[in-house]
Amino acid sequence: MSGALLALPVQSAPRTPAGDATVIEKLPFRAGDSRARALEALRARVRKAPGDATAAAALAQAYFDLAQARGDPRYVGYADAVVSEFNQQPSASLLVMRGMLRQYRHEFDAALVDFAATLAQDSERADAHAWRGAIYLVEAQYDDARKECAALLRLQRHVLHGGCTGLVQAYTGQLSSAYASLQHALTLARYDDQRLWLLTRLGEVCAWLGQNVRAERHYRDALALGQDDGYLLAAWADFLLDNKRPAEVLRLLAAWEASDPLLLRLAEAETLLQTSSAKAHVQALEDRFAAAKLRGDTTHRAEEARFQLRLRKNPTLAVQLALANYKVQKEPRDLRVLLESALAAQDTAAAKPARDWLQSTGFEDSRMRELAARTLQLPIPVIQPVVAP
Amino acid sequence: MMRQFALLLAIFLCQMTAWAHKASDSYLVVDVKGNAVAAQWDIAVRDIDFALGLDRDGNAEITWGELRSRQSDVSAWALSRLALTRGGICPLQVTGLQVDEHTDGSYAVLHLSGVCPGAKGALGLQYRLLFDLDQLHRGLLRLSLDGDMYNTVLSPTSGTEQFGSKQASRWDQFSRYVVEGVWHIWIGFDHILFLLSLLLPSVLVLHLRRWQGVKSFGSAAREVLWVVTSFTAAHSITLSLAALGLVSLPSWLVETVIALSVVLVAANNLRPVVEQRRWLVAFGFGLIHGFGFASVLSELGLPADALVLSLFGFNVGVEMGQMAIVAGFLPLAYLLRNTRVYLNGVFILGSWLTMLVALVWLLERAFDLKLVSA
Repeated sequence: MSGALLALPVQSAPRTPAGDATVIEKLPFRAGDSRARALEALRARVRKAPGDATAAAALAQAYFDLAQARGDPRYVGYADAVVSEFNQQPSASLLVMRGMLRQYRHEFDAALVDFAATLAQDSERADAHAWRGAIYLVEAQYDDARKECAALLRLQRHVLHGGCTGLVQAYTGQLSSAYASLQHALTLARYDDQRLWLLTRLGEVCAWLGQNVRAERHYRDALALGQDDGYLLAAWADFLLDNKRPAEVLRLLAAWEASDPLLLRLAEAETLLQTSSAKAHVQALEDRFAAAKLRGDTTHRAEEARFQLRLRKNPTLAVQLALANYKVQKEPRDLRVLLESALAAQDTAAAKPARDWLQSTGFEDSRMRELAARTLQLPIPVIQPVVAP
Repeated sequence: MMRQFALLLAIFLCQMTAWAHKASDSYLVVDVKGNAVAAQWDIAVRDIDFALGLDRDGNAEITWGELRSRQSDVSAWALSRLALTRGGICPLQVTGLQVDEHTDGSYAVLHLSGVCPGAKGALGLQYRLLFDLDQLHRGLLRLSLDGDMYNTVLSPTSGTEQFGSKQASRWDQFSRYVVEGVWHIWIGFDHILFLLSLLLPSVLVLHLRRWQGVKSFGSAAREVLWVVTSFTAAHSITLSLAALGLVSLPSWLVETVIALSVVLVAANNLRPVVEQRRWLVAFGFGLIHGFGFASVLSELGLPADALVLSLFGFNVGVEMGQMAIVAGFLPLAYLLRNTRVYLNGVFILGSWLTMLVALVWLLERAFDLKLVSA
């Protein structure tokens, strides 16, 4: 298997640049940049005291923040290397860090072990509870997630508690209560990043409720905060695509080719509008998925399913990817791509997990309910040997 | 406090995980012929900068000059993190430096060459580039060893990889698939029940609508041989066609028909319709059982460089597993063939039980139900 995957598509064409002044690579920031200096100071602290867990946790945290802000997994690898020096006796902070890094790689079980160990050391760690809640939400274990939300309330983290509860309610068929919880948290939120996050989620909830005008207002309020945020841009782009407004996606995401999920949405809009850059962007995505596969990375399967479904028109492969992704992640977007792929592939059995999820949670998005109903009306499959060309 | 608090909210964005470029990889292509080593190693310029610091003027741009002037540092750093052995350590040197593009940016291309002490036997490779700084870094190795291709992802847990000489590796691959084949017939209860249901009457003969034991061991063995051989021939054909990707059937259909085949064969023992040419039944349903084996094999995966050999190995394994079942079954059944234990207990009751079990499978698979929890 891995042999086949690894038929290295290295389009090897090494070249010698024309002159010494030729720029061959741009770095994320200048050495004199304040962030670069802050990072260098943290590194120096670790170098000076290699056994200092506090210094290591601070450096790892800084790397992880950078990974989140810039969407660059290299920083996650750096954080991982810092933390792994302390694998024998990690402090509570390093345990949380390691759990975060593990969930990043979708090793949810291992991450839960780390968060449990963190709380055994220090039961007041709200971040460990919050991360656990987030993992349970992804795994569709809503009772467990509710317990983590309750713990956040006990620790008086009201904004976090509101976000946590709002998501559990949204995913379990109580969109109106979810809206109220998130709205309440918004009134308590003191910082722009909190507001941005809550507004984004409010936008999603309104979109599920079919209240497009309100959804748009929340998304626009979030954008008006003026912070770069990949998740917000993706959610807003999805809203625009769902409402047949691809031209706005083009303007929104023109400068975001570096991010795979945003490039995916951009390429969808371009394909709908048949622009000249569509083909090159679809190819770029293909190359990036191939590169991820080469290194054995399977964390992109939800996006890849959508790519195969909408841009490559290969619903059979899309179903496989969506099902594989569903085994790990079970949030609304994961279920939606599964339903859409199953419908396109006329595979009613593949849609069953999604139908079951909708039934058991009572999730209220009318678009998904309609998709699910359509998968039940698919023709009974006929015996049809598929002969490869 | 603010940072901490703000971060906490980002937590619920943990889907952000997979957002963005890929993590760090290097591409290592190695060609070993006898004692001569030639290699090309593509390392991301950003990674070299992170490890060694290339941006001398601090303007966040790496120029060709900045990389080229550090060639000896880069070479020493890279070579200290790669070791090849064949009959001893193969000293390597960098013979050229160029650049290339991959999906996530610019790469320095190191051309390497070296001579190993030995020209034969296994090649050892140890890779440690960047692991001290970046635990997500991977080395993507493509190795040609005396013409044989190997592809591997090198990670911090890989340690020293051994790439065998030709005979050993081919043999290893072959025997691995033989073992898998044996294992999968043994854990495939539907295949075993199908085969046994077909074999149960082979030590019997229908005489005046009553079953009785056959006269000679020879005629029972002949019957068994025919049945097993045609089952084998049939499932080898479809297994090969499916494994090579030439034909594919939906798995629910395959599984349903396999269950149906067991029901029918068991029912035929109780109410004989086909008595003489059971080998034809074995052949017909064997075709569909082959698709069942193929789905196992597709989970297992076939190595691209030894596709036919591994497929053959898997077939051989399935065969050996079957033969073991037959070897256990036939002498015992022959000895007991005229006893009531065999005629009523094993043959009649066994066929009834088999049919019931297979009926449950059939319903479960055809209607996607879960009647009996596994």
